Amino acid sequence: MRKWTLIMLVALMGLVLLAACGSPATPTEPTAAPPTAAPPTTAAPTAAPTTPPEAPAEPTAVPVQEPDKRTQNLEGEKITFYHFGDLSGPYAAITGPLVFGMEDAVKAINERGGIRGATIEVRFADTGGSIDEAVAAYDRFVGSDPNAMIMITYGSGEVEALASRFAEDKIVNLSAGLSAIGFYGPESGYTFGLGPIYPDQFGLFLDYITANWATIKPASAGDEIKLAYLSWPGAFGQGALTPKTRAYAESLGVQIVAEETYDLSPTADTTTAILNAQAAGANVIWTNTLAFGPAALMNGLGALGLKQEFVLGGCNWAMDLATYAFVSDPSLAVGLISPFPYLWWNNADHPGIQYAASLFEANGRPAGARNVGYLMLVTGVDIAVQAIEKAIDTVGFDNLNGEAIYNALTTMGPIEALNGVVRVDYANGVRAPQQAQIRQIQGGPDAFNVLQDWTQMPDLRP
Amino acid sequence: MAVLRPSGDFDTSYEHDLAVVRQRWQWALLLLLLLALFTLPYYAPAPTVSLINRIGIAIIAVQGLNILTGYTGQISLGQAAFMTVGGYISALLVGAAGWSFFLALPVAGLGAGLVGLIFGLPSLRVKGFYLVMATLSAQFIIPWLTRHIYPSLLNGAQGINVPVPTFSLPVIANTCFLGTTFNAELGTCVYRFATPSQFIHITLGVLIVSTIVALNISRSRLGRALISVRDNDLAAELLGVNLFAYKLKAFFIAAVYAGVAGALLAHNLRHINSQTVGLVDSIMFMGMLVVGGLGSNLGPILGATLVVLLEELATVLAPPAAALLPTLAGGATAALKPLLFGLALMLFLIFEPRGLAHRWMLIKAAWRLRPYAR
Repeated sequence: MRKWTLIMLVALMGLVLLAACGSPATPTEPTAAPPTAAPPTTAAPTAAPTTPPEAPAEPTAVPVQEPDKRTQNLEGEKITFYHFGDLSGPYAAITGPLVFGMEDAVKAINERGGIRGATIEVRFADTGGSIDEAVAAYDRFVGSDPNAMIMITYGSGEVEALASRFAEDKIVNLSAGLSAIGFYGPESGYTFGLGPIYPDQFGLFLDYITANWATIKPASAGDEIKLAYLSWPGAFGQGALTPKTRAYAESLGVQIVAEETYDLSPTADTTTAILNAQAAGANVIWTNTLAFGPAALMNGLGALGLKQEFVLGGCNWAMDLATYAFVSDPSLAVGLISPFPYLWWNNADHPGIQYAASLFEANGRPAGARNVGYLMLVTGVDIAVQAIEKAIDTVGFDNLNGEAIYNALTTMGPIEALNGVVRVDYANGVRAPQQAQIRQIQGGPDAFNVLQDWTQMPDLRP
Repeated sequence: MAVLRPSGDFDTSYEHDLAVVRQRWQWALLLLLLLALFTLPYYAPAPTVSLINRIGIAIIAVQGLNILTGYTGQISLGQAAFMTVGGYISALLVGAAGWSFFLALPVAGLGAGLVGLIFGLPSLRVKGFYLVMATLSAQFIIPWLTRHIYPSLLNGAQGINVPVPTFSLPVIANTCFLGTTFNAELGTCVYRFATPSQFIHITLGVLIVSTIVALNISRSRLGRALISVRDNDLAAELLGVNLFAYKLKAFFIAAVYAGVAGALLAHNLRHINSQTVGLVDSIMFMGMLVVGGLGSNLGPILGATLVVLLEELATVLAPPAAALLPTLAGGATAALKPLLFGLALMLFLIFEPRGLAHRWMLIKAAWRLRPYAR
């Protein structure tokens, strides 16, 4: 009898708890289904709304302040930028500079008076490269701030895992993890890229090599382009190889003859993968890796004496100073071809690059951090600030939220972040830049020279 | 060590002799603890709820490993791979086949169990390090398969998005009950376990069931047979214990637990791919078991809790460490998590090789023997 009383008591407690698990609703006011598609974009922009400012992140427009909404003089207010990435795992080499770029850009904006007077606060969480940790960090941020409106992420895996949450919670995510699924998956919508998605990058590379094969092909190669995809396993490493890119390669007459993976480790042995690629008749190698990833391939090609047998291409992250930290001989990096969706530190007369360089020096960052990550995040903060300013003008500071920033981003038209260091237009359902240059390493570090100027990339969105 | 009972705690019936929770105050404490856990979202900050959620899932995976390694003495480094199997099965059943999560969860466990059986086959012929190598192969084969087979279904290395668990109730008297909301598309009232505050109820529910099952396995004929295999397999065989069958049972049960934990993880993360859990996680699970105490039902709970909390500590410490030593960012801070884990493991192996569970037993015994305990 006592046992049954106890069971009934526990069951009753369970029911009470279950009943308390949410707020009851009636069918008369149905709750919207969770988003299954990208939120609709508003009308396409008609013209570029702003002229790039001299000091890129400084407030530009001075709109007339309506009595019912605060758009100016926001002193004492705070806007929080949340970001999380891998500072203690395999991607730490690239995340460190990304974080520096973010912090320095925000610090400079705050020193200039913030966003219309509101101070930007930065909160960071280390994920250690684990998706589990990334979701935990997200939960932590959202749990501590009911009006979390913007987050910056750095990993493809994180973006893919969190895309539906960003859309559901209406939090804008600016991401350096350029996963196509993260941006354009069925439950995505609020995730925007700071660089082009990997399939588009791969497509642009394929365009370039097919158009210029006669001049760039290795001496031993024939007229047929045979590509080996040698990369890391996982969301990032395999991010460029989608059904659409395969079909696109086929349409260009490029055969993908080998697909090999190697370890996500600075000491990875790539010789087996390279020899398999050679055995399959490949004359082009593409890698979707960064820092020690392309370096491992370069070292492998050097060790095997096969450097001259392949055209080596990689995603934007491959062409970076971080690669030089791991390559055994700098000359092994010469010849790498990459889509390059931003300007570079050696464009020293460009005001955006000068601005980034001044931040870098003013904050005394280590030389190793002067790389793509730092530049991309200074640019990313500029995009975020432009969008927030537009959102404040539209809805007022008191109504500022993720949805307002989303609306601002998608209606801003062409954005030339940091005066054109990155070019992007998030209108019409496009959520990542679609313009890039093609560059090649033609000398020592920093000699990333332009082979092809800004070009519209092939649209290989899933 | 001998089980020390409080003075006056006698067995008055066979039921009482078998009881795990023996005293009324113990029942009251247990119910209070459960109440505190289930109502956690109402008083604890969201990050804490999220953390408890992760601890809960880790405990389930380690409970499985405890049956295999702690009770049966078979070392496995494939637990995370079996989690991947469970995660994929549940994701496909719910996402592609439209099953209810609550039906898919046990099926994911059974599916992972069957895969675990395959990797348990070498256990009859090999032991110790060789068995570690055999189970390690699961950690390479299974992720490789998820990346390369049925790309249209498993989506290769990108993995698949996993739906949020839901349950539906009919609309009664034009009203939705039990916290559900009306879904016009389905025409029913739906409850979505979308946030950690909601998902934790599933995790805790499964954790309670998994703990009861693990507890009963260890107290049953099966558990005694497993322990005999661990302690002396030759003697066990001479006593009539079928080594092969019992080792396979242990592998099956461990993989079922891993599969269930994997399904929970996948639905909690809403995404799974070949790298969601990996070799490092398998090693961490083994470390959690060592820290908590092998062959004890309390061990997985204490070990997983401590190690996940240490991971959390490393996450909290990394940014200030990077700010303090900017030139070492991404270098020294990268080592923080493995450093703390390794340090804890080393200290336990030196000072308390029987784990936290044994230390807890000692504390309880000392408390009951007070003031005579040293």
